[in-house]
Amino acid sequence: MSYFTEGLFTAGRLLFTVDPEVYGIVGLSLRISLTATFLASLVGVPLGFLIGSRDFRGKAIVVIVVHTLMALPTVVVGLLGYAILSRQAPLGFLELLFTPRAIIMGEFILSLPIITALTISAIHGLDRRAVLTAQTLGAGKFRVAWTSLMEARYSVLAAVIVGFGRAASEVGSAMMLGGNIRFYTRTMTTAIALETSKGEFGFALALGLFLLLVVFSVNILLHLFQMRGRVR
Amino acid sequence: MMMSARHPQFELLDIVHWYGGKKALEIGHLVLHGGEIYGFVGPNGSGKTTLLYIMNLLLRPTEGQIFFEGKPIYEDANCRSSAQRKMTMVLQNPYLFDTTVEKNLEYSLKLRGLPREKRLGLVRDALDEVGLVGFEKRRARQLSGGEAQLVALARALALDPRVLFLDEPTANVDAKRIRQLENIITKINRERGTTVVLTTHNLDEAYRIAHRVFSLFEGNLVSPTMHNLFKGAIRTSREGTCFDTGKIRIQIPSEYKDSESEHATVDPDEIILSREPFVSSARNSFAGAIVQISSEGDRVYLDVESGEVFRVEITGQSFREMGLNVRSRIYLTFKATSVHIL
Repeated sequence: MSYFTEGLFTAGRLLFTVDPEVYGIVGLSLRISLTATFLASLVGVPLGFLIGSRDFRGKAIVVIVVHTLMALPTVVVGLLGYAILSRQAPLGFLELLFTPRAIIMGEFILSLPIITALTISAIHGLDRRAVLTAQTLGAGKFRVAWTSLMEARYSVLAAVIVGFGRAASEVGSAMMLGGNIRFYTRTMTTAIALETSKGEFGFALALGLFLLLVVFSVNILLHLFQMRGRVR
Repeated sequence: MMMSARHPQFELLDIVHWYGGKKALEIGHLVLHGGEIYGFVGPNGSGKTTLLYIMNLLLRPTEGQIFFEGKPIYEDANCRSSAQRKMTMVLQNPYLFDTTVEKNLEYSLKLRGLPREKRLGLVRDALDEVGLVGFEKRRARQLSGGEAQLVALARALALDPRVLFLDEPTANVDAKRIRQLENIITKINRERGTTVVLTTHNLDEAYRIAHRVFSLFEGNLVSPTMHNLFKGAIRTSREGTCFDTGKIRIQIPSEYKDSESEHATVDPDEIILSREPFVSSARNSFAGAIVQISSEGDRVYLDVESGEVFRVEITGQSFREMGLNVRSRIYLTFKATSVHIL
């Protein structure tokens, strides 16, 4: 319990004194997870739409595989990423290992199946008449697709938010691919892991609170957006 | 009433459509002319909606050819897309996009690249047409069922289509709005010359608005009456061939003696009504009592209970001359050849 109160005090101090290291870590974490989520949405939303809106042989298998990948352990992604990016590995020449870009790659791989799977569900849940209506009004294939996505926008947005949650909260691949280098690749989660192992609970707790605050803010934004659309 | 210049607007030839292993529609030849209102009547599952989807090019039939303004649309992609731009449909249970009424109406106009000023003008005109001016900024999802139906109709009208398909336009509308909708439909047709093709399961409504009524039953076009539709089996005995409904036996031409059909129908206007037994060569004669009387214009419809309920159609004048009332005892007489085996 004393750890907890001590942690809260440290957290408060770090927050209000604008500790540059803490804010640096928060800034980097946000940049990395937002970039990873953005890229994963860029691929996952259209991919989910394609899988969700079409009937093809083997669709059930594809959906099962995507669902399975949602549970991909972060350390496995870290391990595989390490195996590909380390100096002697096939992509070693890119010199990405232990850079923020490597963490983005890892988080991209982790959120992609989540965004894809939830977009598939969003499209499956979409009223069939939305597509028919767009067609009767003269929309071509791309416009029909866009209209469907717009009609499912709240669910698709929720998919992106959950993907962001995954990227922001994972620690395994950020640790293995980023290396937790101070002022360079140290993110909120890797810092929490490190500080806890060092016994610096206050610092760890402050970062933990920040992490929660970030996810909370993002969810408030989503909620406001949904309210705006539904109640007026 | 506008008539087409040279070609019929629609010509359907040997259309067959299968859903899985079930034949949903089979139409040998159907011609629709521009500027008319067509009503397709039939019970659920009779193929009405499938036919509408096929004509609106949302569904390609398994077999057959469609000509739009004389051109075979499945042989030329350009012809198909130009035909598609000239028609639109309002679904039975219309779907409004989750945004404002105005944006719903603007949707198709944006697709056609119209400038905003022009779009808003057309939106206003279309809303005016259905009596919903002032609804522009309302959220589409917060409208009542009747209002939503009118907005969907306005959205279709904003396009100024050459052909307007309406799938059961009054099915989800309360009685008060039905007349309003029917008036709008006839007005569009009269003032804009738009061809209207609608489906309904209400024969009276079809006759009220449509210039031409078709009946669909189990995917086939049948004589436009669904009232005297009986289910039963064909039997042959010493007295001849008859259709046995389980309650009465209706004499039919002997050529049907080997048919396995389970449905027979009798045109309401081919039944002779009399106060006394009617002596003629007609082989079907039943005594019965009137159970319901309804009228439409100068037509009077009588539902007569005589084992089965028969719908009989007579003129208002005959009705008055015969002095008929509910519970009046009367005789129904019709020829075996007036019975159609489906």
